[in-house]
Amino acid sequence: MGVNTKAIKRRIKSVSSTKKITKAMEMVAAAKMRKAVDTALKTRTYAKLAWEILVDLSKTQKSKMALLATRPVKKILLVLITSNRGLCGSFNSSIIKKTAIQMRDPKNMSRQRINGKSVESSDRAEIEVLGIGKKGAEFCKKIGYNLIASFTDLPDTPSLAGMLPISKMIIDEYTKKNYDKVVVAYTDFKSAMTQTPKLRQVLPISEIDLEKMFEELGEEDLQKEKTKIIASDKVSDYLFEPTRDEVLELILPKLVESQILQAALESSASEHSSRMLAMRSASDAAVEMIDELNLNFNKARQAAITQEIAEIAGGAAALN
Amino acid sequence: MSKINFKIVTPEKVIYENDQIEQVTAPTTTGEITILPNHTPLVTILNPGELIFKQGEETHNFAVAGGFLEMKENNELIILADNAEHVDQIDIDRAQLAREKAVAQMSEIKNREDVDYARMQAIIDRESNRIRLGNKYRKLPKSE
Repeated sequence: MGVNTKAIKRRIKSVSSTKKITKAMEMVAAAKMRKAVDTALKTRTYAKLAWEILVDLSKTQKSKMALLATRPVKKILLVLITSNRGLCGSFNSSIIKKTAIQMRDPKNMSRQRINGKSVESSDRAEIEVLGIGKKGAEFCKKIGYNLIASFTDLPDTPSLAGMLPISKMIIDEYTKKNYDKVVVAYTDFKSAMTQTPKLRQVLPISEIDLEKMFEELGEEDLQKEKTKIIASDKVSDYLFEPTRDEVLELILPKLVESQILQAALESSASEHSSRMLAMRSASDAAVEMIDELNLNFNKARQAAITQEIAEIAGGAAALN
Repeated sequence: MSKINFKIVTPEKVIYENDQIEQVTAPTTTGEITILPNHTPLVTILNPGELIFKQGEETHNFAVAGGFLEMKENNELIILADNAEHVDQIDIDRAQLAREKAVAQMSEIKNREDVDYARMQAIIDRESNRIRLGNKYRKLPKSE
């Protein structure tokens, strides 16, 4: 047997060990995805209920809460949620691409999305980035965006306690009027096959965006719920204890927190599912490659045998 | 008699759900209140404390760490809690540890921002509540 077959054999071995690794990574990603999807689903109830209370509250009278206040947008904080690790297909590149496109259009970014109110947008809105996950932070450094902070040591499945420092920082900065708008860029988990990068306004709290978020979550009964709420408009004489404003003051930060947690969970579910897909196609490619290499190996082996026989036959003929 | 459709929800999950509840007692910032079916719509803020609700002869006791209570007009009562757990599930030792840690941290940061201070105080209140309730129900025989 020649050198050729030896080389092919070595390649088969290396490809099959790579396949083992990608297969294992696929399985790990699948387990993590299930967990993240599960948590994301559980979080939705709270966010939905908190939102309902807010709708009930805002019906009676528009309040002058800091987190509801809209002002002309001069500075925007963009929270970019990416993953810490690579090997997850186009997950990071698609969210970064989407963000980059939006960053080039400050006029659109600075538009306030509030029902029935138009706050002028400006061309010169400044955008600063808060990065969650290593990949987004690296991108910002490379491109030269203003990166004010980056959180990279979050666990695989984000928890409320884990996200608290981030949401607290966002709320504080907004209340101090350091920013006039806060936007979250995350990847929406539609199914294990499809994930879409999205930008959402978080602050000031916008009913339109919240509504859209819930609609996309596939809450079909929401529309019904909404019409029910509107229909029961006159019954909305809720009692508030101690006072309306105190209730609002407490519930608004919770709503923002749960929204940010939701975005992080959706992102993490998307990350794991796109990693799972990437690893699956890597394993499939490895199987294909092994098949092909096996064929080549057999051909080379057969060629060597044929050649040997021909040589022996030739030698025998020469002796005669 | 109508029943209350009762739900305890935290940001992380739905803790408890039951539509056959007859009365709910909750610790609000303005004092403890008990809600019966057909209560008028109400939104109120909860303090850390004990949440008691009854289904027939059965009484459930939960420790809540603050949050909101919303009573809707259709007998739906929702507790949006920061955290809640059944009193039987309280790990007293862990709560004790968490409280000690919070107290220690509190004395460290005493002269810094008051926001952190408020949060630490909330943690201490929450853990104290868990310890109190955990101890209260530990020695009782299991209720039917």
